[in-house]
Amino acid sequence: MSTLEAVITSIQRLSATSRDLSALHDVLKGANDSLRTNSDLQLTTLDQLDPSKHSLGYLYLLDVLSCGPVSDVVPLIARFINGCDAAQIRLASEKFVSICKRLKDKVLELRDPLRGVAPLLAAVRKVQVSNKRLTALHPDCLQLCLLAKCYKAGFSILSDDILEVDLPRDFYLYCYYGGMICIGLKRFQKALELLYNVVTAPMHVVNAIALEAYKKYILVTLIHSGQFSVSLPKCASTAAKSNFKTLCTTYVEVGNCYNNGMISELEAVVVANSSEFEKDKNLGLVKQAVSSLYKRNILRLTQKYLTLSLQDIANMVQLANAKEAEMHVLQMIQDGQIHALINQKDGMVRFLEDPEQYKTSEMIEIMDSVIQRTIGLSKNLIAMDESLSCDPLYLGKVGRERQRYDFGDDFDTVPQKFSM
Amino acid sequence: MAPSSSSGLTFKLHPLVIVNISDHYTRVKTQFNPPPSLCATENASNNGEAMLQPNPRVYGCVIGVQRGRTVEIFNSFELLFDPSTDTLDRSFLEKKQELYKKVFPDFYVLGWYSTGSDAEESDMLIHKALMDINESPVYVLLNPAINHAQKDLPVTIYESELHVIDGIPQLIFAHTSYTIETVEAERISVDHVAHLKPSDGGSAATQLAAHLTGIHSAIKMLNSRIRVLHQYLAAMDKGDIPCDNSLLRQVSSLLRRLPAMESERFQDNFLMEYNDKLLVTYLAMITNCTSTMNEMVDKFNTAYDRNSRRGGRTAFM
Repeated sequence: MSTLEAVITSIQRLSATSRDLSALHDVLKGANDSLRTNSDLQLTTLDQLDPSKHSLGYLYLLDVLSCGPVSDVVPLIARFINGCDAAQIRLASEKFVSICKRLKDKVLELRDPLRGVAPLLAAVRKVQVSNKRLTALHPDCLQLCLLAKCYKAGFSILSDDILEVDLPRDFYLYCYYGGMICIGLKRFQKALELLYNVVTAPMHVVNAIALEAYKKYILVTLIHSGQFSVSLPKCASTAAKSNFKTLCTTYVEVGNCYNNGMISELEAVVVANSSEFEKDKNLGLVKQAVSSLYKRNILRLTQKYLTLSLQDIANMVQLANAKEAEMHVLQMIQDGQIHALINQKDGMVRFLEDPEQYKTSEMIEIMDSVIQRTIGLSKNLIAMDESLSCDPLYLGKVGRERQRYDFGDDFDTVPQKFSM
Repeated sequence: MAPSSSSGLTFKLHPLVIVNISDHYTRVKTQFNPPPSLCATENASNNGEAMLQPNPRVYGCVIGVQRGRTVEIFNSFELLFDPSTDTLDRSFLEKKQELYKKVFPDFYVLGWYSTGSDAEESDMLIHKALMDINESPVYVLLNPAINHAQKDLPVTIYESELHVIDGIPQLIFAHTSYTIETVEAERISVDHVAHLKPSDGGSAATQLAAHLTGIHSAIKMLNSRIRVLHQYLAAMDKGDIPCDNSLLRQVSSLLRRLPAMESERFQDNFLMEYNDKLLVTYLAMITNCTSTMNEMVDKFNTAYDRNSRRGGRTAFM
């Protein structure tokens, strides 16, 4: 009772400057256990505090309260997240993260993920120390967006470049969910990048997340670039290289069939294994891959022929009739995947070169933005390079090698250990 | 000492003359005052000569064409000055003149040049001596002192005029104005000479920076001058300044000479070149990033690679 009052008054007093806040933080840490057992703590006590000014104290009390059986915790937490002060939150980020996770669980229980999307988006922005850091909240937010099917909201988080990661598991989940969101938005290029990151991430044992990601990765490569190679990229870990293939044999089979280019065979394989695809929830993706095979075949035709009749296209790509071929070609022209002219009088299609001359002023803007991005990237790389040069591990090894060469010279040898 | 001339002749000077004079002066100066590293090897007998005045005067002849009222000075050559008689070497001058006549039959000796800050009394003697070749020679004076504040060329042209001073008719030097006239070949060579840099500025980056700085300052100067013209025209428009029709005519003719920047072909070419440059910059940035990444990966491997060769040596660092 008295301790609760004391805690509340100290919260109200000490929430002004940063020095006070650290003192308050210590007070709260000390009082945490007693608060848990304190039965006086009710929702009404929270009314004495203002979430935007007393965020730290509010956070602690809310944490204690939400552990227990409280009704209607979702709007409470949501309101808190929207109103809290970011600087104060970052002092106790793990508590904040656990509160948000609780919000997510509750929202999932209520089967209404949409309610949690906006608060979690705000929470991610508030807990992020800098734009380049991955927090534990990123994958949760993305998961909610996926379940609520609001892909655009999730995509806004994905557009940041991540340079620092706290936990590898967060990173795997982030890339995996992010890849799925991009697939939902049909941005296959970005999905490919994200899934590639998971597949080639360093791991000692095979990771379930990475395995699922690998299956999706195969399918997205088929849709996007139309080619499949059985071997993983060289930078994938050895565990991945040896185990992935044996664990996803059906997908590898689909990929090989795709490479051969025969639609009928591919469809046969898909139908045969459809139950497995269904289990992995990848059936939609597989169907998209099958339809993309037509596109790939037509694309290959543009490299061989200058003009072709619609009937011939239909025959070569194993479509039913010329009408369907015309529809496919028309769709591809509209998407910008090929450049062609359809002459409807005699049913001939003439394939053209890419008319982009790169000399318009819009091109200047694109180039400018791309160059700016590269300059930013270069700055980051140089910073990383410099920090590595100062790394004592690196200096130790370089110094060791230098020592061997400087026999008889009076160079200073690099000390092996640094007293930090 | 040098009032303005009233002869009514227009003088045109070619930059070749200026370059020649300055070159002559620099050579003589360097020969007589060698740089400190060579000084030590001079023996005592030469010491007297080595201590000549810091700014030796050089002399020479200028040649060109006089058509009507226009005097155009094309070229120059050097002459030896005889300090004992205070005259220029006559026989040499005549020999040179004959040689030049063979190649340029139109040119004849128009006058002489020298270096210094101002015309002196002793110069009048030389001037009079030349009067038998040309009844009214010109005297071109180059001031070799480098003055960074001065924007104009330190070249003055003097004519001789007969003035009555204290009842005695005397020849004195009088300023004349002149314009610089260039042929295309001269412009290129002068440009080349002007951009000679000492050899340690040889790296590509500094040369590019110097080149771009030059272009930048040229454009800045052009911009400021156009701005002045613009303000002047605006003032004229408002009525602050009385309208000067001849100036307006000059401005309008200048504007009409501007290149046609509004045509579509120009835009096309311009955009294409601009985009090409952007693409090259992009390529350079990507190469830069790739090389940084390469170094970083090497460092990372040396630092964190557990399977590195512990006991062995690397082939080369």
